[in-house]
Amino acid sequence: MMRRHASHTRGTLLGACLLLGLSLALPGRARADEDPQALFAGAVKALHEGRAGDAIDALEALADRGVVDPAASFDRGLAYAMRVRIGVEVPGDLGRAVQGLEEARDLSRDPRLVEDASHALGIVRSEVAKRRARSGDPAEVDPGRSLGRSVAGLLPEDTWAVLAAVASAALALGLFVRWVVRAARARVAAGIGAGVAAPVLAVAVAMALAVRHDRQNLREAVVVAASARPSDERGMAVSGATPIAEGARVEIVEVRGALSHVRFGRIDAWVPSGALRELARPG
Amino acid sequence: MKRASLVVLSIALFAIALPARADATPQIQVQIDGDTVGVGDVVHLQMSVSSPDEMPSDPQIGATPGFAVRGQSASPSQTHIIVNGSRTDRFTLTVEWALEGRRVGTFAVGPPSVVVGGKRYAPHAVTFHVVPAGQAPARRAQPPPSQQLPFGFSPFDPWKGFFPGFDSNDRAVETPPTVTVDPKLSLDAPRGPLYFLHATADKTTAVVGEQVTYSVYEYIDAGASNLEVDEQDVHDPTAADFLKRPLLREDQEAGLAGYASVGGRTWIVKLVRRWALFPLHAGDLVVGPMSIGLVRPRSVAGTRRATETIRVTVTEPPLAGRPPGYAVGDVGHFALSAQVQPREVEQGGAVGVDVELSGKGNLPNVLGVPAQEGVEWLAPEVHDEVGPAGHDEYGGKRRFAFVVRVRRAGDVDLGTIALPFWDPEQKKYDVAGARVGVVRVAGSRGAAASRGSDTSDEMLPGLPSVREELGGQTPQRRHVDDSPLFWILGVGGWPFAFGLAVAGRAAARKALEAWRRRSRSPTADLKQRVAAAHAACASKDARTADAAIVRALEAAAVAHAGVSVRDAVGGAVAERLERAGVPQPAATRIAELLRECEAARFAPHAADVVTARDRWQRAQGAIRSLERRA
Repeated sequence: MMRRHASHTRGTLLGACLLLGLSLALPGRARADEDPQALFAGAVKALHEGRAGDAIDALEALADRGVVDPAASFDRGLAYAMRVRIGVEVPGDLGRAVQGLEEARDLSRDPRLVEDASHALGIVRSEVAKRRARSGDPAEVDPGRSLGRSVAGLLPEDTWAVLAAVASAALALGLFVRWVVRAARARVAAGIGAGVAAPVLAVAVAMALAVRHDRQNLREAVVVAASARPSDERGMAVSGATPIAEGARVEIVEVRGALSHVRFGRIDAWVPSGALRELARPG
Repeated sequence: MKRASLVVLSIALFAIALPARADATPQIQVQIDGDTVGVGDVVHLQMSVSSPDEMPSDPQIGATPGFAVRGQSASPSQTHIIVNGSRTDRFTLTVEWALEGRRVGTFAVGPPSVVVGGKRYAPHAVTFHVVPAGQAPARRAQPPPSQQLPFGFSPFDPWKGFFPGFDSNDRAVETPPTVTVDPKLSLDAPRGPLYFLHATADKTTAVVGEQVTYSVYEYIDAGASNLEVDEQDVHDPTAADFLKRPLLREDQEAGLAGYASVGGRTWIVKLVRRWALFPLHAGDLVVGPMSIGLVRPRSVAGTRRATETIRVTVTEPPLAGRPPGYAVGDVGHFALSAQVQPREVEQGGAVGVDVELSGKGNLPNVLGVPAQEGVEWLAPEVHDEVGPAGHDEYGGKRRFAFVVRVRRAGDVDLGTIALPFWDPEQKKYDVAGARVGVVRVAGSRGAAASRGSDTSDEMLPGLPSVREELGGQTPQRRHVDDSPLFWILGVGGWPFAFGLAVAGRAAARKALEAWRRRSRSPTADLKQRVAAAHAACASKDARTADAAIVRALEAAAVAHAGVSVRDAVGGAVAERLERAGVPQPAATRIAELLRECEAARFAPHAADVVTARDRWQRAQGAIRSLERRA
């Protein structure tokens, strides 16, 4: 009787251990599926083995999970480029490659990665331009930035801000000295100082505000379709408008339903939202 | 011949009977379409009242224990007949109530009543048996409402019924179909008389790519005759945000969906559209109304009927647990199978891979293939067997015939074709997979050589190497100019401080000037002089006291009369003060005091300080009188 009881207890214990093990193992597996590091490692392995499709799946899953990482974006761009290179290209792959590389370049503070991304972008965009030239389409994929944005981009936002503060202090000091001091030389020097500080203050404030506005509001995307035909807001194609090339970086002004209002150089039109993939913004 | 004589006899009887029937008591008939009804079913009680004098009014059903009144309709009619110069009028009111059984039992409803000639008539109560839902015997459909004829037949068509088959409309009237009302098709109220459209969707929330079954029903009043719609004026619903797949053949006659009771009437319900709609993106998506124009009968000719606008809230499937390779829109339940033929091939040769995708939902048009170097998947040939699957589902099979070129030698693993999808029934992700397996590729010198030449014009050459490590999430960095304090103090603070200094200095100057101005005022001067006079009179120097009194009086004249008497001599003092409005006694008093003080000051003998103090007392009185006047 005692032996039977002991065997029953052992059985119960074994069952409980099995259940415990199973309950621990299952969430562990789920966690592994969700783990960004594991996904990224899988993607890198697939890239090394030439399995572009698997790498893309893993890197896209990483992006779906909200991971914004320059290395992941860089590898994603390379994975799409690899899919083109090995001859199993899906339409839009070149654009997606550009999007990943542009994103990596925007996000990264590593000069090496920025340089590699710029180099790869050049290669991919050359391929796009070559194909468009072959089909007789305009090959413009990067119209460059406006003069204002180019000037604003000369210095980091914080530098513009500090410059504005310094110019403000210099202006106030110059005016104060000129007001208080009676000596002619000091008054002239203070006047010149205030005269220089005032325009510097105006420019620095304008640039700081512009860069801040762009950081907070600017949404950019890359065309990830063979081309995006400009249309009006009802979706009717604009006659005579040049289609925006695959891989072109555009500014999103507004998204309304299935259409997005974009600016690209001198083009200001609506394109299908599905033809665009937005760039993640740096923090 | 026999029948003709019968008709003549009938007319004669009719003519004789007319005056006899036209009595003052109203004729009341109560009818029901069944005395046994299930809980939730609707039964109709009809009361028809005819009076020769006036139109019956104010019909009331009375008590309705065990029932809820779902609707009431009243049809008044009048008939005026003149036979051989004799006029007969008949006013008829037909009232119908729709009663819904609410609880099991036997109930007496009514009696219904009506007012005729100022008197209320109530025939008798009606007894109903209410049984549990679904246990009621099938009832005959409510016959189509026909014009109530007070004499049983129309005077304009007295032969009606004598010649069977002569009247083409008879058939519909004679054989009303036996119908069972489907509660699922019931509505709160009809959307239009005689005919209307009603749209439904099986769900109002869905994920992108999930099937939403959209149906449009037409409701035809069972009593309507000669109804005709304009087939040129049928406008299908707009569903631009959905992929639309018909589940019905739309070139066929609409199928009967059942019968419905709406607003106390019986309606024939037909299914005219059934679509599987697959949302293309997230958002509040709209299916526009379907509309149709009516041609006949005349009462509704030219009018339109339209369905409701349907709104579906569409979201993306959850991010949690989303498998790699999932494409938004792949929703349903899918299975994959693959066959490879042949399994052995020469380097550079091709194998055929047949992949069959089957299941329910919107089957994807494209399959992600396991792309790898040295293996080229050519665009597949696609064969569809996709369409309605069952009553309201969409699905089937789609075959993808791939040709795969293998450029590598050896055992090449073609991998697995996988299709991740969201299963809306299970509310979770799943992955349909088909293992393609290994292909044995025999080496070939020609293929290797051609491969070598291929690499010379390789696409996208010189791409950099992949990154092995994640760089870490870019932290949300705060910028100096994110803080309002930076703009207020750092940029605006300095000019503000300068402005403050300028304004402060100007204000200080202004204040100083005001203070100075105030301190030089006649009143302030008077105060000073009075204080000095007090002080002088307290001392023992009478001349000083008199001089102080003189200055105090002069200051008082300036402060309170606005006139200076400093350089005035003799009577000029009083004269100036009087000109300034000071009464003569006061002016004289002040002039007197000034003269006394001057005399005391310049007297050759020593002055008496007590007298000087007395003068000061009087001078203070004079100053106060000046002040009061002012």
